[in-house]
Amino acid sequence: MRNRDADQQALCAGMAQWGKTLSEGHIEADARSAFEPHRWRSLAGSGVLGLPFPQQWGGAGQSLLTTLHVLETLGETCRESGLNFCATTSMASTGVPLAAFGGDALRERYLPGICSGELIGAHAITEPDSGSDAMAMTTRAERDGTHYVLTGGKAFVSNGPIADVFVVYARTRPEGGPLGTTAFLVDRDTPGLSVGGPTAKMGLRTAPLSTLHLDGCRIPADRVLGRTGGGLLVLDHVMKREILFGFTVQLGEMRHRLERTVAYARERRAFGHPIGDYQAVSHRVVDMKIRTETAAKWLYDTAERLAAGEDVTADLAMTKILASEAALSTSLSAVRVFGGAGYLTEVGLEKEVRAAVAGTLYSGTNDIQYNHVASTLGLGG
Amino acid sequence: MSNADQISEYIVREFLPDLTPSQLPPDLDLLADGAIDSLGVLKMIAWVEHHFRLAVGDTDLDPENFRSVNAIDAYVARSQSTAATGG
Repeated sequence: MRNRDADQQALCAGMAQWGKTLSEGHIEADARSAFEPHRWRSLAGSGVLGLPFPQQWGGAGQSLLTTLHVLETLGETCRESGLNFCATTSMASTGVPLAAFGGDALRERYLPGICSGELIGAHAITEPDSGSDAMAMTTRAERDGTHYVLTGGKAFVSNGPIADVFVVYARTRPEGGPLGTTAFLVDRDTPGLSVGGPTAKMGLRTAPLSTLHLDGCRIPADRVLGRTGGGLLVLDHVMKREILFGFTVQLGEMRHRLERTVAYARERRAFGHPIGDYQAVSHRVVDMKIRTETAAKWLYDTAERLAAGEDVTADLAMTKILASEAALSTSLSAVRVFGGAGYLTEVGLEKEVRAAVAGTLYSGTNDIQYNHVASTLGLGG
Repeated sequence: MSNADQISEYIVREFLPDLTPSQLPPDLDLLADGAIDSLGVLKMIAWVEHHFRLAVGDTDLDPENFRSVNAIDAYVARSQSTAATGG
């Protein structure tokens, strides 16, 4: 555990008090694949959604590091991982680009709602035929006087079914290579925008996912976030925070998992001894500890370097790989230490495995992250 | 060192280490597949705007301004000229 200053300790203690309320009935909610508005309102009441955003727009004005400490506490105390995912998605997808790239009028109109939770944000990047290859997106935005007209389709839109506002990435210059993409803020009720129904999926079932269709959506030109052609700059900025926010929550979830597994290994007896007396078990738990602490070091070290303005492209890719693989590995280890009990839905551990699989895929698949690191080494073609 | 030389040196140092600055054709299409990857292009733009202290404001990121060393050189000259004349 990293040292926290007095303010960080107080904020984390405040966050921890919400854990029980937020977690209540989480296994049943997962079984129903239900996003629950009352739970979202409770989460919003904790103040976590506005932590990193400027106070003048309804945020708490906290640093990136302090935000991560509180998000780690959220993961440690809230067992509703789908809810946690909805929270970091709204913050990173919409709050972050608004704060960094939005004009004052857009900030004033939308950021207070994102901070308070009255508005839920989502971003629409991935397309059915291009997956992780953002450069291959075909959704286009054509200038028409004072507006842009957006046409295309998006897939894997986290928070899609519940979002009030979307950050849509579209091609403004199809031949423009990396400078051909622009980010737009789009209201849910924009004529021509339609959201698909929630898509059934393996894990994070309370965090709804959908498709998004844009059929000639007319968007005022002042809804551009950043500069026309600068969409990938926005996306790069956003993805760095999305990875840090999301996987620091997972770090907290790993800490809770480790604590729970240690307690079980001490209590559960077999052949006359606590199972933790056997190396097969204790070494597995130690491996969970090593992976959890490794993820922690990478997450916070990378965040410190990002906050200092350093280039963290490779570090962030490695952080994402290490943290997501640690989450998956430790979730499986917990099930194995618990044995048959770990396989039961009512124990709540199998749900964590399903959620952890998603972490290897979203925010840029781990395979893509390997490509990023390879490119910094002058490899990979 | 001219602006074009500084641009060539940066691009070679950061993205094309197998070349020397003199081996980088000033009209090579940097945005074409395989020259510089998308993250590299973003990094290059940030360097150009910071290194030459361009006041970019909310101007469009026109790919034609960053397509080659010659194009970047011309873009820098235009931006500095515009800033100098207050235009």
